[in-house]
Amino acid sequence: MSLEASVGLRKGTLELDVELEVAGNGVVVLLGPNAAGKTTLLRALAGLVPLERGRIVLDGVVLDDPAAGVHLPTERRPIGVVFQDYLLFPHLSVLENVAFGLRSRGAGRAAARERALAVLDRVGLADCAATKPRALSGGQAQRVALARALATDPRLLLLDEPLAAMDASARAELRRGLSRHLAAFPGTCLVITHDPIEAMTLGDQLVVLEAGRVVQSGTPEELSTHPRSRYVAQLLGLNLYRGRAEQRSVVLANGRRLIAADPVPETGDVFAVIPPRAVALHRVLPEGSPRNVWEGTVEDLDAIGNHVRAHVSGELPIIAEVTPGAVASLHLDDGGPVFVAVKAVEVEVYEA
Amino acid sequence: MTDPTTRRSEPRRGEAAAGLAVVAGDSLPVGRAEPAPWAAPSEGGAPRLARRGSGGAPFGFVPLAVAAVAFLTLPLVALLARAPWRELPGDLTAPGVLTALRLSLVCSLGALALSLVFGVPLAWLLARARFRGRNLVRALVLLPMVLPPVVGGVALLLAFGRNGLAGRWLDSAFGVTLPFTTAGAMLAETFVAMPFLVITVEAGIRAMDRRYEDAAATLGAGRWTTFRRVTLPLIAPSLAAGGALCWARALGEFGATITFAGNLPGTTQTMPLAVYMALQNNADAAITLSLVMLAISLAVLVGLRGHWFPSR
Repeated sequence: MSLEASVGLRKGTLELDVELEVAGNGVVVLLGPNAAGKTTLLRALAGLVPLERGRIVLDGVVLDDPAAGVHLPTERRPIGVVFQDYLLFPHLSVLENVAFGLRSRGAGRAAARERALAVLDRVGLADCAATKPRALSGGQAQRVALARALATDPRLLLLDEPLAAMDASARAELRRGLSRHLAAFPGTCLVITHDPIEAMTLGDQLVVLEAGRVVQSGTPEELSTHPRSRYVAQLLGLNLYRGRAEQRSVVLANGRRLIAADPVPETGDVFAVIPPRAVALHRVLPEGSPRNVWEGTVEDLDAIGNHVRAHVSGELPIIAEVTPGAVASLHLDDGGPVFVAVKAVEVEVYEA
Repeated sequence: MTDPTTRRSEPRRGEAAAGLAVVAGDSLPVGRAEPAPWAAPSEGGAPRLARRGSGGAPFGFVPLAVAAVAFLTLPLVALLARAPWRELPGDLTAPGVLTALRLSLVCSLGALALSLVFGVPLAWLLARARFRGRNLVRALVLLPMVLPPVVGGVALLLAFGRNGLAGRWLDSAFGVTLPFTTAGAMLAETFVAMPFLVITVEAGIRAMDRRYEDAAATLGAGRWTTFRRVTLPLIAPSLAAGGALCWARALGEFGATITFAGNLPGTTQTMPLAVYMALQNNADAAITLSLVMLAISLAVLVGLRGHWFPSR
């Protein structure tokens, strides 16, 4: 199983230019902000949007190659798609929806129904076979959509924000279910999401798309420890800075220096990442060990679980995670000046 | 759509379609379930509307509206009041009446069938295909809707009459003559009625969520399967509404039919023509025939009330 895609196309203001390579089975998660081109990339792989340049090869079969005039129409691609709002056919029963692909690909009525029922059973919805989609809950609709996409035994499974329509309480369980089905899928699977938890739990490989380009790809671990874009850092709740390496410190664009304990590359562009819980806030200039201290102003406070995130502006904007007790004792909500302190050992530096 | 003329003519088409088609489009059970902002019940508006029975209508609207309703219903009441109920069974089964009724049904259903066969593909192309002069084509297709039917009849004579542009060729090549035949009456009705179907179905196709067709394609359905199993069922309400409008228009067609096909009992004398003729010498028969047509119209209206009048 392999997918090699090089997709170049223009759609409205979006300029999509993506290289994607997946070898072996596995789940690739496509992560990115809105309008980054995730859905357009998925539609291009499905053949619903023509390529302007590039090439899509699935298991050695060329699906698209505009230079050679090759474009395999969507209905002849060995793919299964779960669309963002599922798009179950409202006039067909659940069973007919799942059997649709088999019927379209030439299966007889009885054989298609039997197979569709088996797939429905696999997602635990055999009881709903006769119902119409509008009577399903969101979670059930999602599983029917998955069953419909899986019924034709595709080699490439494409899922566009499969959990976006769910409310938070149902998500965790559906995510586990989805994760199980994707793990059992014997082919390449591409999932679009903008939810970091989904990305981390579903994906073997993460590809981050921003403004039509891949800004980073790697395993979930690589991404969460070494983010390479502001978007990924924000998604993971990390402070990310870009600067120049210089004698165990990082010189930022505004001239400010961040001192790190770890060995810093000799020269060149680097990223420095600081986790918010490693940032301390003080009302008076702290004495002692912290190597990075600067002045700032608390602009905003967000409660997250039993912590508070303080957005501090100043010469080096940063997010600090503090306890509610600290907010009260330091009067962080009065907008007065604070000192930000970060130990050198908490600053991680890696090559840009 | 870079052509500025295209842009300008869009809203006009929308206006023309609004009365007939938009309602049908609204009742489609498709599309993303995003309620339009104006459809959301406004918290301030509802109580204010409920304050008075008239919904806070501007001064003078209520009597004017009552007058309009009276004007529209009085003739129907008169028709029912003057109906010769006792002779009705006999009149209804009179040979002339049955012949006219049968002919009307044959011609109007034939016109509906022709309109479906040619009109649905046309509506699809107008809604989906991008080609030069699409708006010109749409204008030409809709012209019979606003053209006086008599003019349509004259035009049909000039085209398909024995000496007409196409009629001459039809006559010499196939020996087919259309004027003053049942086929001619059917053709006249189709000419007048098809635009109603085309415009309604086109609006329905435009309103439908195309991504359902994308979904069908990813499931391996070719264009024809997608159209048959996805598009057609999803636009069924528009199809029903357009078909009913088209059929009702064909059933009531008078001007083009009498001009092009004449008024031959048993061949081209449809119900409206028979009513008009009966009125000259036997008013009771005219009333009876009118009642039959009123009953048919009511049946269509009742059958389609869900599509035209969302029960809100």
